Amino acid sequence: MKRSYSLKNTGTVMSFLLPSFIGFSIFVFAPMIMAVVLSFTNYSGGPKFRFVGFKNYVMAFSNPDFLSYLFVTFKFMLISVIFQIGLGLFFAILLSKQFRGCSTFRSIFYIPNILSSVAVGLAFMFIFEPSSGLINEFLAFIGLPTSKWLASEKSALNVIITIAIWQNFGYYMVLFIGGLQNISTTLYEAAEMDGANKFKQFIHVTIPGLSPILFYGITIAIIRGFQVFDYIYIMTGGQQGGGPAGSTNVLAFDIYLNAFTYFRFGYASAESVVLMLIILFVTYIQNRGQKRWVSYDVV
Amino acid sequence: MMSYNLKKRRMHVIKLIFLSIVAIVVLLPLIIVLSSSFKNESEIFDFPFHLIPRKTILGNFEQLIDTFPIYIFNSVKLTVTIVLVQLVTAATGAYAFSKLTWKGRDFIFGLYLASMMIPMQAVMIPQFIIIRNINLYDSHGALVLLGAFTAFGTFLIRQFFMSIPNTYSEAARIDGAREWTIFLKLLLPMSKAVLVTQIIFSFRFFWNDFFTPLIYITSPELKTLPLGMTDFVREQYVYWGPQMAAALISIIPVLIIFLFGQKYFIQGVSSSGLKG
Repeated sequence: MKRSYSLKNTGTVMSFLLPSFIGFSIFVFAPMIMAVVLSFTNYSGGPKFRFVGFKNYVMAFSNPDFLSYLFVTFKFMLISVIFQIGLGLFFAILLSKQFRGCSTFRSIFYIPNILSSVAVGLAFMFIFEPSSGLINEFLAFIGLPTSKWLASEKSALNVIITIAIWQNFGYYMVLFIGGLQNISTTLYEAAEMDGANKFKQFIHVTIPGLSPILFYGITIAIIRGFQVFDYIYIMTGGQQGGGPAGSTNVLAFDIYLNAFTYFRFGYASAESVVLMLIILFVTYIQNRGQKRWVSYDVV
Repeated sequence: MMSYNLKKRRMHVIKLIFLSIVAIVVLLPLIIVLSSSFKNESEIFDFPFHLIPRKTILGNFEQLIDTFPIYIFNSVKLTVTIVLVQLVTAATGAYAFSKLTWKGRDFIFGLYLASMMIPMQAVMIPQFIIIRNINLYDSHGALVLLGAFTAFGTFLIRQFFMSIPNTYSEAARIDGAREWTIFLKLLLPMSKAVLVTQIIFSFRFFWNDFFTPLIYITSPELKTLPLGMTDFVREQYVYWGPQMAAALISIIPVLIIFLFGQKYFIQGVSSSGLKG
């Protein structure tokens, strides 16, 4: 009796679970393992390949180009995270309390986030066009020097960082508004009674109350920053790309190039494992830090 | 001495002016795309920028007529298919992880959650090898299969199912209802809001998705809109007008959905932060 029930039960569970579990195991879980295995081979798509130990990793880390791609990736990540989180927090605070028109501002600041990165890329290539684009025309008009923007190795990455900030700060704003609205107003009232000014309230009530979501937002921003690809591909060079003098060649782009242009699957897998380890490390730090610095008792 | 109220009101006005300026700066690229789509090449770089074209033309859109209708059709077809498939896998998975009890449930759900942290670049090479081996390279089937599983969607809907008290499903079970009946007739109708959020998020993602089609699609007649738009990047001479028109075409559907479903976007973003 019991047994037949549990058999039936298993069938039911399977019928609900399998649609997602099949996709998960074949296209997420198995590939994850395979990526690690591939990174120790010289696989290039053909039938013959062999294990080469740590050769791909040694090759990567002894290649100055790879190190420079890592550096470009870190630079992109760091600057874009600081501004996305900073602006997101700033506008979240300005817009968290209800006033007439506040939801319109929220929507407008969020809109760039819903757009396709390709459309955004094409639009900004036009705006930053190196000879007679609107930005240059405007700079010339007010008497400032113009720039080659995406065509110059000095400015290309900065232009792309600016676009990433424009497109994403609204997401973090929405995320943080949700967090701010969860902080009980009685806490502010209590702080005000104790004579805390606005700044002190911000440090002692807002930041601790927001800390779980702030932490989550920073982690997401870092992870996404490390994976930037679309803008790089679209705005600085397409298939062969990587920008003027490789100045915008980020890790994700180099993985793509090695895998799908040069078919060095083994080497590209090693690079992707490095990326995965960086991201797992960030996640680990977030988990550890959350236990240490985040206060849940405030909310 | 200025009264406290007056000072407060002045601060509020300054805030509104500041926010309005930022709003214009944020929207400016979109306004430029809209306006430039209807300008001819000789007018497009005119400075100072004027919003209304001196001569409004449709030529930029006409230049897209050979290739873009098929791109748009492919994008619509694929986006709708993947959104529906995702809805099924996410909702059934969510039910298994919230309303059914079985051994290993929390472990597997933990794996799903952890997979959200795995970068796409780390799995794309094995995915590519698998897809090529089942002969789906350069086909829409590849995109559908790769899009079928969503950890985020499963998580989103599961959170909502968890908030529905078990008393409903238990009462139905006592009445002899089967799990699929409870799922289809009881839970899904109660969960419209979260299902719409899921639909909107996956619509936006796949309508905009560039990376997966870039890797898997090479035939021009199979290209999606975002992939087709990069035709411009490869061309030697850039015609800015058609490029802006193409950008406008890809922006409009998501913008319309956003205008009608803002609250679902906000809900989706906020609930992704809940687990943080």
